[in-house]
Amino acid sequence: MNASSATVSRTLVGRVLWYLPVGLIVLFFAFPLIWMVMTALKQPVDVFSSPPKFVFAPTLDNYKRVLSSDYMGTVGNSIVVAVVSAAFSIVLGTLTAYGFSRYTLRGQDNLLFWILSLRMLPVIAVIFPYFLLFQRIGLTDTLLALMLVYSIFNISFTVWLLKGFFDEVPREMEEAAKMDGYGPWGVFQRVALPLVVPGIATAAVFNIVQSVNEFLLAFVLTQREATTAPVALLNFLTPLGLDWGGISAASTMLVLPVAVFAVLVRKHLIRGMSFGQLE
Amino acid sequence: MSTTVPVPALETQAPPAVSASSFERRARWFPWLLFGPTVLYLLVMSIFPLIYSLYISLFDYTPGINQTFVGFDNYGALLSDPVFWRKAGVTLQITVAAVVIELGLGLLCAMTLNRRLPGIGGLRLIIYLPMMLSPLVVGYFWSFMLDGSFGVINHLLSFVGVPAQQWTIDLTLAKASIVLVETWMWTPFVILILLAGLQSVPPALYEAATLDRASGWMQFRRITLPYLKTPILLALLFRTIDTFKIFDVPFIVTKGGPGDETETLAFFAFREGFQFSAIGRGAAVAWLIVIVINVLATILIRMLTRPRAQAQRVLDEEVAVA
Repeated sequence: MNASSATVSRTLVGRVLWYLPVGLIVLFFAFPLIWMVMTALKQPVDVFSSPPKFVFAPTLDNYKRVLSSDYMGTVGNSIVVAVVSAAFSIVLGTLTAYGFSRYTLRGQDNLLFWILSLRMLPVIAVIFPYFLLFQRIGLTDTLLALMLVYSIFNISFTVWLLKGFFDEVPREMEEAAKMDGYGPWGVFQRVALPLVVPGIATAAVFNIVQSVNEFLLAFVLTQREATTAPVALLNFLTPLGLDWGGISAASTMLVLPVAVFAVLVRKHLIRGMSFGQLE
Repeated sequence: MSTTVPVPALETQAPPAVSASSFERRARWFPWLLFGPTVLYLLVMSIFPLIYSLYISLFDYTPGINQTFVGFDNYGALLSDPVFWRKAGVTLQITVAAVVIELGLGLLCAMTLNRRLPGIGGLRLIIYLPMMLSPLVVGYFWSFMLDGSFGVINHLLSFVGVPAQQWTIDLTLAKASIVLVETWMWTPFVILILLAGLQSVPPALYEAATLDRASGWMQFRRITLPYLKTPILLALLFRTIDTFKIFDVPFIVTKGGPGDETETLAFFAFREGFQFSAIGRGAAVAWLIVIVINVLATILIRMLTRPRAQAQRVLDEEVAVA
């Protein structure tokens, strides 16, 4: 009796002791996000109070102001750019990933590495030519310009992620479909494609998040009409300086969907973040 | 970028033998459909701009005003300019500091979080959030928290007796602020990758080592570390290259200041090109960044693929012996 209660308390103490460092780590990474939500719910007076307030009367004024401002239009731009670029990239990327997984090609390894290297390509390396080219053909300040450029990075990502998913599709199933008289397209579409739907969903989420988050290209290639949400955040000004309440409220609107997405793709987070290199 | 670098061992398969010859016939055009559109798109959209960028960098180019061919003068001027080297130094300092801290802290956190505790999955998910956010949003909000007069960081530090600091404008602290924000955002990435490595260690190895009375340190060195080698190199590869091209965080947190104390190479290229309208010079800086990243990537990928190639050789020899 005594002994068993001692073990219980020991494991209990042990558990609490393990939660302590875990809690500290979580607090370090979560605190800025908690502070962002708190700031979004503060009155202007409380936002700039010194020392900062942890207890305050919450208000939705910041959200009301943001919802009725131009910012929502830029959120719309961000969503349109991200979704269209993701859809386009997934069509091209899925086909090519299947190709790399099933067919041999001369110089295939070099081709695959070239596609991977595009993910490492610094935005700054292509920004000057795009700035000049888009100006010349009248694409400056259009959503199409952003979709076109973001798709480079998205296709590169999609190919690498989905190649891994296609590699896992059992070859026997495709052989069986061939015997049933399906052509190459039929085998791809009816057998392989349905089995990589989780991979496609993961690719879609990462492509969308990546595009919504991008700043430098959007900052340089848009002026007014095609401004995206991160760029618009720079315009939250008051006569007294930056409108941190508004910026916080607007930022939470970008953070919340990302949090939801993270939960949705949690199983494949590691594959997505490591570019399909780890599981 | 270069296409001459060896690629991680990839299994490539011969097309499966098929009985139906109609399938063979129809399969002939199929690879064109699979590869054609992507290769065409990426060639037009990435290689062409890169070459065009190289072309621009050979000009003294101010849009609408001046366009004179100067050969490699932009590059020569940059490489003999102490200002350029100072920005390169800033970039290198930030990269090394951030990557070292991210890897060290990431390893520590990953080992702490590698426990079966109720609710640990949800807690890990919270930690993974920062790396999925927009660097601009992250930098923006941190600059608010780091503010010298009403920022919450100074307030929290006052509890442990640290006097208030002007984080983003102080000559020595500005760079530390950039590293802090980078570290907050990207340590979670290292944690994610290292946790995957830790979880791939078969528990039986630790049990056997405990029976052999191997010390904790020995277990870490002989069992854990070998399993972490690939994840660590992978984290090193991604983080080094991404940090070297850093733009958003210094742009929003310190605006490159005080002075040009936190102006990274990418920021420098941006300012030359768009603020001083010296697009040729900006493009030259951008090309130098591409070259450095290419070299870094080549070295790191060699390191990453060498162990695998070695393992493959050992395996081949064993097969040959058998």
